[in-house]
Amino acid sequence: MTASTLASPGDTAAGPPESRRQRRKRERLQEQAAAIPVHLYGLRRGTVTLITVACVLFAIFTLVPVAWIIINSTKSQTGIFSSFAFWFSRPFDFFHNFALLFQNVDGNGTYFQWFGNTVLYAALGGGGATALAGFAGYGFARFRFRGSKAYFYVIVGALLVPVAAITLPLYLVYAKAHLINSIWGMILPSLVSPVGVYLMRTYVDLSVPRELIDAARIDGAGEARIFFRVALPLMVPGLMTVLLLSVVAVWNNYFLPLIIFTKNSLYPLTVGIGVWSQVAERSGGNSDLYPLVVMGGLVTIVPMIALFLVLQRYWRGGMLLGSIAN
Amino acid sequence: MSDTALKAPRNAPPRTAAARRTRRSAWSRRRDRRGLAFVAPFGIAFTLFTIVPLLYAIYESLFTSRIIGGTVFSGFGNYHQVLTSGAFWGGFVRVIVFGAIQIPIMLAIAFFFACVFDLGVAKASRLFRTIFFIPFAVPIVVAALMWGFLLEPSYGPITHLANAFGFGGTNFLSSGLILPSIILIAIWEWTGYNSIILYTALKSVPRDVVEAAILDDTPLWKIILKIKLPMVRPAIVMLIFLNSIGALQLFVEPEILSYQGGSITNTWTPIVDVYNTSIANAQYNLGAAMAVVLGLVIIVVSVASMIFRRQRGELS
Amino acid sequence: MSAVSMEALTKVYATGAKALDALDLQVAHGEFAVLVGPSGCGKTTALRMVAGLEDITSGVLRLEDRVVNGVSPRQRDVAMIFQNYALYPHLTVARNIGFSLENKKIPRAERDERVRAAASVLGLADLLGRKPGQLSGGQRQRVAMGRAIVREPAVFLMDEPLSNLDAKLRVQMRGEILRVHRRVGATTLYVTHDQTEAMTMGDRVAVLRSGRLEQYGTPRELYDRPASLFVASFIGSPAMNLYEAALEAAADQCVVVLGSQRLTLAPAGAERGGLGAYRGRKVIVGIRPEHLAAPGIEGAKPGIEGAAPGIEAAAGASLTVDVRLVEPLGSAQLVHFTIDAPEVREDPAEDTEQLAEGEIMDTPVANGIAVTGPRTPARAGSRITFGVDPGQLHFFDPDTREAIDTGR
Repeated sequence: MTASTLASPGDTAAGPPESRRQRRKRERLQEQAAAIPVHLYGLRRGTVTLITVACVLFAIFTLVPVAWIIINSTKSQTGIFSSFAFWFSRPFDFFHNFALLFQNVDGNGTYFQWFGNTVLYAALGGGGATALAGFAGYGFARFRFRGSKAYFYVIVGALLVPVAAITLPLYLVYAKAHLINSIWGMILPSLVSPVGVYLMRTYVDLSVPRELIDAARIDGAGEARIFFRVALPLMVPGLMTVLLLSVVAVWNNYFLPLIIFTKNSLYPLTVGIGVWSQVAERSGGNSDLYPLVVMGGLVTIVPMIALFLVLQRYWRGGMLLGSIAN
Repeated sequence: MSDTALKAPRNAPPRTAAARRTRRSAWSRRRDRRGLAFVAPFGIAFTLFTIVPLLYAIYESLFTSRIIGGTVFSGFGNYHQVLTSGAFWGGFVRVIVFGAIQIPIMLAIAFFFACVFDLGVAKASRLFRTIFFIPFAVPIVVAALMWGFLLEPSYGPITHLANAFGFGGTNFLSSGLILPSIILIAIWEWTGYNSIILYTALKSVPRDVVEAAILDDTPLWKIILKIKLPMVRPAIVMLIFLNSIGALQLFVEPEILSYQGGSITNTWTPIVDVYNTSIANAQYNLGAAMAVVLGLVIIVVSVASMIFRRQRGELS
Repeated sequence: MSAVSMEALTKVYATGAKALDALDLQVAHGEFAVLVGPSGCGKTTALRMVAGLEDITSGVLRLEDRVVNGVSPRQRDVAMIFQNYALYPHLTVARNIGFSLENKKIPRAERDERVRAAASVLGLADLLGRKPGQLSGGQRQRVAMGRAIVREPAVFLMDEPLSNLDAKLRVQMRGEILRVHRRVGATTLYVTHDQTEAMTMGDRVAVLRSGRLEQYGTPRELYDRPASLFVASFIGSPAMNLYEAALEAAADQCVVVLGSQRLTLAPAGAERGGLGAYRGRKVIVGIRPEHLAAPGIEGAKPGIEGAAPGIEAAAGASLTVDVRLVEPLGSAQLVHFTIDAPEVREDPAEDTEQLAEGEIMDTPVANGIAVTGPRTPARAGSRITFGVDPGQLHFFDPDTREAIDTGR
């Protein structure tokens, strides 16, 4: 999971001790060394070809929508409906469409305002959720206080509760607490990530040795200092994974913002594009919103894919597995 | 002096031990409280934004608001209405069918590619891994929109393709094909992610076990199905569990696709039903009851499966 | 015809690291051959190349005189016991042992019979229904052996099979493996980093270092006539005392000058072998701790029994040392001493830090160890004189670090 095969902005800065190419080569060699040579499995050449074909087919399936959205982001509304879907057509409206994202089209909202909102919600919500999960995971993994087990089971149990069963009453409470159309109504619930706590507890259990903490205590360090100076550096890979998952969760959240925001200036991208699409479909082609929906979709996914390619190195898929040991 | 120093503890062991015990427990109790301090920020947020809303949902579900007479206590009236609603259970059956088809297909594909990556058979397997993971970075709303365009009945390119292959007049968004279409979208979204998790699990199978199997002259299919598959079973069980919970809460895809056509009803899935009942029709109390019922079903099913697995000795 | 034959076997990894450098080794039928050396010496690589799990960069590997360089491990008829046993965790002991027979489509009845036979040899008969997770370390080890012997392979390969067991169990399993080996009689290639294991188990022992073969011979040969400084220091516990010394060019005698002390070798012996050529030059002299005898207390009077015929001991060959520490072991005691001669380090663990200090230390005072009888009156801080049998001395060239032939 470390290949950076698409150009991504953060990757161009190569560290002086090891160039990007060298690192990739080393990683490729390490991966090769870790794998059992294929010929030992006794595979025939034909089978290998078939497998490669299967990979190519699934890659095409994966890339079809992405290719479609890239190609159609360059088209006018007529072009989207009447030209061949997988090739370019005139007029080339890419920059025109892109410029429209800065405008409040038909009073339905401005795309880049939503983009900014989403970044804000994802940064504060995802970052905050990661911080809380880091503290709590450490607390559950390395302290035993009264009821700690029971609390933990309640949190794990919360994974089973449908999002709607929590979101819906939030709406009712917000209506009374005047949190409808408040960004805090979006950010504060995003701070709660039971999955994050669960993963961090497992991660701390595996990667922060109890002896290390005890040694620091004997050296007279306070608990806060132990956390920040001793445990935190060891928790970084786990925190990055939880950060990635939390940011994606907020970025993707649709249900909560859909019901708590009525002002379109507060929408995140998901709700904004959804509303555009709804308006476009309801108007039956009379609205010019289709190129905006397509361009908006493209601009939504590109930063996320770039972010993933950059953060892939920190992604610990294994964390999700460490948790099943219990 | 050395004499007394030696004698003193021997003469008064109970007192010393007791003193030491109280001292140690006081110290560890202080540490306990510090542990609580680490958990507290999350605990407060969790209480305010999960526990309280959940309890409030249960509370609200026991009332009914009427146009005349305001909100009144109605006991299990809402539950009675939910449990006897054919539309609600229809949606329920639909998501179960959805999960029962989508999850096995997706996991089979994901396991296949996880094995391919793990064996290092395909050339450029890193490139494929990266490509397969891309959909995970695409918000579901956008994924549903893209597929909605591709499958659109009049201009959608995949519809054109179907027409070209002789399936004239195919409407992927019609009531007959909308469920398979959403299954397709969900497979597109989640296969790569599941595949990467299974790949990680497969990598944790010790190399020497596989080498032992090779020296035992085990054919490849048997190494995969009889050695590796059983060893990553816990990961597969976990993925089935997580995907099932996700499937029962299916909402965004039908909601977005409902803008395009009429085949998705207001009660198409339980969450669509909850949304339309409580937000569009403003029957909050009834919606809350639906959400609680859905939650209860999920909890009962998970606890039952956990007990079942524990009895079979799969869980410690 | 040998069962396993390695000719100039070389392994270079894709990263450029050379794991094995032109290894030549022949293992006879039914022989128990041990590959021993410090970690990273290439012993496991060699074993895995025989198994077919590792590609051969160059050289020839024969099993039963058949070149198998390109043959799949499936067709090599070898069984391997892995360091971590590599049992199938989800299968019972019976299915673990019988898995290879299942693959060969051997009928159920015969399979069960063979599994039961293998299990009874190893004392696993009662555990056939269990899974590996429910077994102790020693039992898992037996299952791994059962999985190997049930196949009746031409060659057994064992990769540090005892390293995960505790010390007591290890000694017990050592005997167990040898018992099974004698019973099955198959050629065995056994890899370990533990010289005691190598010496006690091997018919022949190959000592490897940095991918090269240092010496291949019986345990007796390795102990009596180590071919190099490395083998001398690696084999034997406690390790051989090694000092830099000079060989005095006297007219009729051969005298070893060790610091301020002189050890006289009989003239006839000095002329024999290659030692004569080193007169007037520096050599490295080695004395095993068990060959230093406290005079008047016990054994090894200079020049009598045990002395090789070549070198006649001159009367009164002795070493006076300062005792630093005495460690009683019960049956014997270890006397740690210092001597005023330059010490030579040949660290088998290849600790780079120590090597960096210079292999021949500049300090004129060197440490040493002697193994003496339990009641030898040695006290820390005292001075003691050991009798030395010149026939038990080992000599090495300080440049090539190879043994100097003394005609033994």
